[in-house]
Amino acid sequence: MASATESSVVRGDTSTYETIAALTVGLAAVLFFLGLAATVEVVSITGTLAGLPTLTALGLLLVIMGVAVAGFGLISYRGIFPTDPRASAGVVAGGLFSSLWGLIGALVAAETLGLGVVGGVAGGLVLGALAFFATALPREDIGSTLPAGALAVFFGLVFLLGVVGPEWSWSPANFPSSQSVTFFAATVAPFAVMASSLVVGWAAAKAYGGFGARGRHLGAYLLVYLNAVSIIAVLIALVAFVVFKGFGPVTEGVEIGLGVGPATTIGLFGFGFDVVWPVSWPFLTNGASLFTDITGVFPAIVGTIWLVIGAVVLSVPLGVGAAIFLTEYAEQGRFTNVVEIATNALWSTPSIVFGLFGAAFLVPRFTPQPQKSLLSGMITLGFMLLPLVVITAREAMIAVPDEYRDASAALGVSRWQTIRSVVLPAAMPGVVTGVILGVGRIAGETAPLLLTMGGGSFVGAGQRAKVLDGFQLSLSPPFVTNPELTQATTALPYQLYQVILTGTGQTAGVNDVTAFGWGTALVLLGVVLAFYAVGIATRQYFRSKLTYE
Amino acid sequence: MSEIESQTDGTARSSETTTGETDERIREEWSDYSFEGEAKLTVDDLDVYYGDDHALKGVSMDIPEESVTALIGPSGCGKSTFLRCLNRMNDRIKAARIDGSVELDGEEIYQDGVDLVELRKAVGMVFQAPNPFPKSIRDNITYGPRKHGDLDTGLLARLTGRDDSETADELVQRALEQAAIWDEIKDRLDDNAMGLSGGQQQRLCIARCLAVDPDVILMDEPASALDPVATSKIEDLIEDLADDYTVVVVTHSMQQAARISDQTAVFLTGGELVEYDDTDKIFENPESQRVEDYITGKFG
Repeated sequence: MASATESSVVRGDTSTYETIAALTVGLAAVLFFLGLAATVEVVSITGTLAGLPTLTALGLLLVIMGVAVAGFGLISYRGIFPTDPRASAGVVAGGLFSSLWGLIGALVAAETLGLGVVGGVAGGLVLGALAFFATALPREDIGSTLPAGALAVFFGLVFLLGVVGPEWSWSPANFPSSQSVTFFAATVAPFAVMASSLVVGWAAAKAYGGFGARGRHLGAYLLVYLNAVSIIAVLIALVAFVVFKGFGPVTEGVEIGLGVGPATTIGLFGFGFDVVWPVSWPFLTNGASLFTDITGVFPAIVGTIWLVIGAVVLSVPLGVGAAIFLTEYAEQGRFTNVVEIATNALWSTPSIVFGLFGAAFLVPRFTPQPQKSLLSGMITLGFMLLPLVVITAREAMIAVPDEYRDASAALGVSRWQTIRSVVLPAAMPGVVTGVILGVGRIAGETAPLLLTMGGGSFVGAGQRAKVLDGFQLSLSPPFVTNPELTQATTALPYQLYQVILTGTGQTAGVNDVTAFGWGTALVLLGVVLAFYAVGIATRQYFRSKLTYE
Repeated sequence: MSEIESQTDGTARSSETTTGETDERIREEWSDYSFEGEAKLTVDDLDVYYGDDHALKGVSMDIPEESVTALIGPSGCGKSTFLRCLNRMNDRIKAARIDGSVELDGEEIYQDGVDLVELRKAVGMVFQAPNPFPKSIRDNITYGPRKHGDLDTGLLARLTGRDDSETADELVQRALEQAAIWDEIKDRLDDNAMGLSGGQQQRLCIARCLAVDPDVILMDEPASALDPVATSKIEDLIEDLADDYTVVVVTHSMQQAARISDQTAVFLTGGELVEYDDTDKIFENPESQRVEDYITGKFG
């Protein structure tokens, strides 16, 4: 294989051994994502995969990989290929394999062999101890490949021989019947595949790196990489699921063409003329009405948008002001520490507590009779957003270099003018980031709205919260009134809750409650993403003013 | 004065012990530098404490106007502290306590009722690391005058007919020309100052300081973060500035002090001003044995 003259610094061309090891790593990654796909039922356990029954195919792959990995260890141990193994695979790897094999031993002894609890514990201990010694005692190349390969071969044979078939299920007999638990193959098999592919992939990556420091680095890199990719995969799966489910109901009855949409009247110098939209999108522009075919979520969209705007308008000036005081004026000490702990605690306060506060404190204050209102909802959500704005604005201001403050002071500029012209502009991107994060949370809040704002969840499009039209001027205090703010209205998450759980949809003319719910969820996602886009554009604007190019 | 010094030379050296203890009277003689004309800044018996740390011990010196005064000494000897006392930047450090007197044109700056805005307009400062604001070059220059209300630009000013945009343009050009950077950056005045090189940023900071029209410019190791070419440009600039301004420069490069300064004050460990005299005298024939050791590289 490798020539004897090869120096230890220069690694020669890729050898057959390394090629096969790299292929095994790739195969392990594929298998891991097959397992991930099976957990979200993209790949069916009962169906077929590449012409074979899914479990048989997975089992075959596992056996091949297990044998290959064990082979790498033996090749390295016999010195056929020069590697650089340590004396032992280490206690951490030993503990990991010990717990995996111990679990298998306990389950097999207790259930398959029918030895009961005592036998199960004994089997687990024996196999766990064996696995630990098999990992930790021999040289690293044997210790990290053989237990891993054996695990993959074991699961592979279990699937191949049909011990666990597609219809397999297991209800542990020892559970009280009231809490009975049943494991199905569709749930267990993907996890077994993912676990063994991770272990085998890790061992193969170590073998590819020739064990030792480089092998450990590659093994850890593979695990971290798969972890990161699977997080993104889960996120994409989640969003894709909502889009698939919600796309149908949202786009129902969409028409594009001249003159198909609703008409908007624009008043100009006393003349009013109608502008007809070229798009008709009933789900987004309709409310609930007996006269429309498709019930839409327009009032709820308007309600959510006003809620977020109100909360941001309330909390950003207050929060940024508090952050200015805490970072620029207050002396760092016990007082600022207490405020910091209090804001952190406030941010992690459950939202229903804010809702109850709003219901008890805000709801009775704006109208003669206690009445849930848009204003109460805005203020409650504003209070929820406030701590995050304080925290992030404070962090952003602390991160502004003191050199700027020194330079400004040396020019004789007062502290407040320095804050306004130098510190705040430099801190703005951070503040906006905080607001973006917070808006994502409050736009989806349901619990506080149940208690402070929610009225009828299904209202006509004409009954939306017309905040801009609602302002009325008068000559007597309070000079400006807006009845729209003091009325109950609806919002997307609130409407979603009502549709799914309280059945108000049926009476409002919704044909398919579940589909309507998915549609609402998709629109909510869209509204939140739209706020994100606005926030990111704002942050980019402030950032571009601070940096060169 | 120099005759007396040459006579007392032998006794002075012998009266200084190896631990640096010197007879108070002799040390005062070394630092009692006389020059023609008025002193711009008069410092008398200045003590600075950071908490329990006595950072500056009884420093007295007169700084002549329209000249370059270099402050040299090893790290931690209090030269930057001394510099920051001259425009009360030490007020910004909460733990600092200052005793003594500093007079600017005969007016005490450490007394009640001193307007820090006016003081710092008269005594500007340039820092060790270039610290332009993350704004355009033009905004960096006009920042001080605008905040002081000397310049009125923007929408409201335009609407009310008090727009000073032309004055602002003249000011930007004057300040940048004085700082010898106008030709390099005149075409990109609206670019962000963060895009300039380190040397250009430092000259921009000097221009920003000149824009408020100070009498005195304090510089805290202005070239220590720069490469040799940028350093030599800053040094040329400092020598030119001395025609119109009183410049006080802290530096830890003795070659730099020798090149650019008219008089040099040597601070040594412990926060004492050991010797203050013409730069030539300090570098060619210092009175104190410790100063000579420091300058020849045997110490510090």
